[in-house]
Amino acid sequence: MASLLQPDRVLYLVHGEKKIRSPLSTLYFCRYCSELRSLECVSHEVDSHYCPSCLENMPSAEAKLKKNRCANCFDCPCCMHTLSTRATNIPAPLPDDPSKTTMKKAYYLACGFCRWTSRDVGMADKSVASGGWQEPDNPHTQRINKLIEYYQQLAQREKLERDRKKLARRRPYMPLAFSQHTIHVVEKYGLGTRLQRQRPGAPITSLAGLSLKEGEDQKEINIEPAQALDEVEPLPEDCYTRPINLPEVTSLRQRLLQPDFQPAGASQLHPKHKHLLIKRSLRCRKCEHNLSKPEFNPTSIKFKIQLVAVSYIPEVRIMSIPNLRFQKECQVLLTLTNPVENITHVTLVGCEEGDPEDINSTAKVMVPTKELVLAGKDAAADYDELAEPQDFQDDPDVVAFRKSNKIGFFIKVVPQREEDGDVTVSFKIRHDFRNLAAPIRPSEEGDAPTEAIWLTHHVELSLGPIIA
Amino acid sequence: IAEHVGKAAANIAAGAVVCVESEIRGDVTIGPRTVVHPKARIIAEAGPIIIGEGNLIEEQALIINSYPENIMPDTEGVEPKTMTIGINNVFEVGCVSQALKIGDNNVIESKADLGKNVILTSGCIVGACCQVNTCEVIPENTVIYGSNCMRRVQTERPQPQTLQLDFLMKILPNYHHMKKTVKGTSTPVRN
Repeated sequence: MASLLQPDRVLYLVHGEKKIRSPLSTLYFCRYCSELRSLECVSHEVDSHYCPSCLENMPSAEAKLKKNRCANCFDCPCCMHTLSTRATNIPAPLPDDPSKTTMKKAYYLACGFCRWTSRDVGMADKSVASGGWQEPDNPHTQRINKLIEYYQQLAQREKLERDRKKLARRRPYMPLAFSQHTIHVVEKYGLGTRLQRQRPGAPITSLAGLSLKEGEDQKEINIEPAQALDEVEPLPEDCYTRPINLPEVTSLRQRLLQPDFQPAGASQLHPKHKHLLIKRSLRCRKCEHNLSKPEFNPTSIKFKIQLVAVSYIPEVRIMSIPNLRFQKECQVLLTLTNPVENITHVTLVGCEEGDPEDINSTAKVMVPTKELVLAGKDAAADYDELAEPQDFQDDPDVVAFRKSNKIGFFIKVVPQREEDGDVTVSFKIRHDFRNLAAPIRPSEEGDAPTEAIWLTHHVELSLGPIIA
Repeated sequence: IAEHVGKAAANIAAGAVVCVESEIRGDVTIGPRTVVHPKARIIAEAGPIIIGEGNLIEEQALIINSYPENIMPDTEGVEPKTMTIGINNVFEVGCVSQALKIGDNNVIESKADLGKNVILTSGCIVGACCQVNTCEVIPENTVIYGSNCMRRVQTERPQPQTLQLDFLMKILPNYHHMKKTVKGTSTPVRN
């Protein structure tokens, strides 16, 4: 029955640019807008870069310089696991006395998973444990850098021309850098435009590193156009007859992870530096408040700000489902958990006919009409044996059981469609929410500092197939 | 060979360290400097097993010379096949090996599963949880790894675990009773 606890069985509807249905565990709750947010209606920002194996933090500027790769760690070119440095003792002649040999340590890289070693591609053992390994140079680096410079200059020139045209029509007080169209032109060869999309009015500071500074002499960069060759290197004669040595052929994935060389033979696979990972922070697009902000330290998994939906919205879970029969009324047991510390009142309302949000349900549902009361979450409840159980008058037809901040209740389901597929029901859940984030205004009449607002969410449950 | 069927004594050479908690059934010959951990199982059902020297057989490893699936144990005229295991092999924790011929310097990693029809040559490494039950001879220095049993060839064979073997031969008798070897007396029991 653990399959009933699977998160994608109970979906909450998020109202955003797109209507998204997803489990509560993947949603965030903006307590300033008092609305659910999903990953698609928040803006993602890069917080910090770190290496996943040595857990070293790296400032963003340095990460960009090193092309988002760690300086110390390597990836196995064969299986993409992290390489570890191993040492062997080799006899080496003493520098003073060539006839005597002493044991010196030699280091090589080895993969623990596929047993690849740096000796397989002919890389010599190094005498230092770290820092001795170099990636092979790309022969086309110079040409690529020159092309990048040329195109950046071209983009800058196009931007100036457009601004000049706009300036003729625009009023003089509008600043030059803020025109919407020119952003796209400069960003054509720089970072993506997505960064700019969410902040229509914010100043663009990221461009400063890419484009030439105003007033600098614009050097004319000329590039030679690429030459088309008539003669192509012919294929080797035994191309069709030579038997393939299968272990030597690299797989597509191994090849494409090294886009500089794309070696066809496994003996040319050199290890690459490990890619950095990022910690991201999420921001609500409407009110610009942070919804999730991780700690700066890569070893810490905690959050500075963590406004996840499960800690504010009561969660519905399926507890048990009887055999569902076509057009027969079945009773399903659900649980409702209260995540906050004060008492929550929950009302369930079925969806009406023609509800635009109700597109997936294949069964009629009768929800309890009475208001359900959930006790607050008491962190010390396990340890406090003398606590008196709070007395809620529960209707035994509606409430099956009650346990600290959780209740089990029944709903009646009548499947309407006899086809294959899951029986889906949906209803609306309305609960009171006390906003502790709002600033406490000085109460003039001695009112309670936090007022409850009522929130409504649309919930969809997937109950499984009909058993005839 | 018919007289070996049914012989229950294991033939453990002097210098081998075989713990009493290991299960050895049937006609099994174990070479010197081999270490068999407790809870390892070596079962010679359908024929004798000959294990060379310098092997390391870890806990819960199962080396079994079993009958082929479609043959009942009582049918007459079935030739018992000998399972040969070479020197310096490592059978890691929980692996199952039914391969009839294993060469030298192989490493069979944890929870790997070797079928009856595989023949390992030398220097092969069968990765953790890899099931190899094809009917083939694995070429030398092959590494089988990954959930899809990808293969590659390495340039050098895995090193023999001499350090580990020496260490175990010193430490295991401190904590376990040993099975009797053929020549010489069994290692003294310490309290």
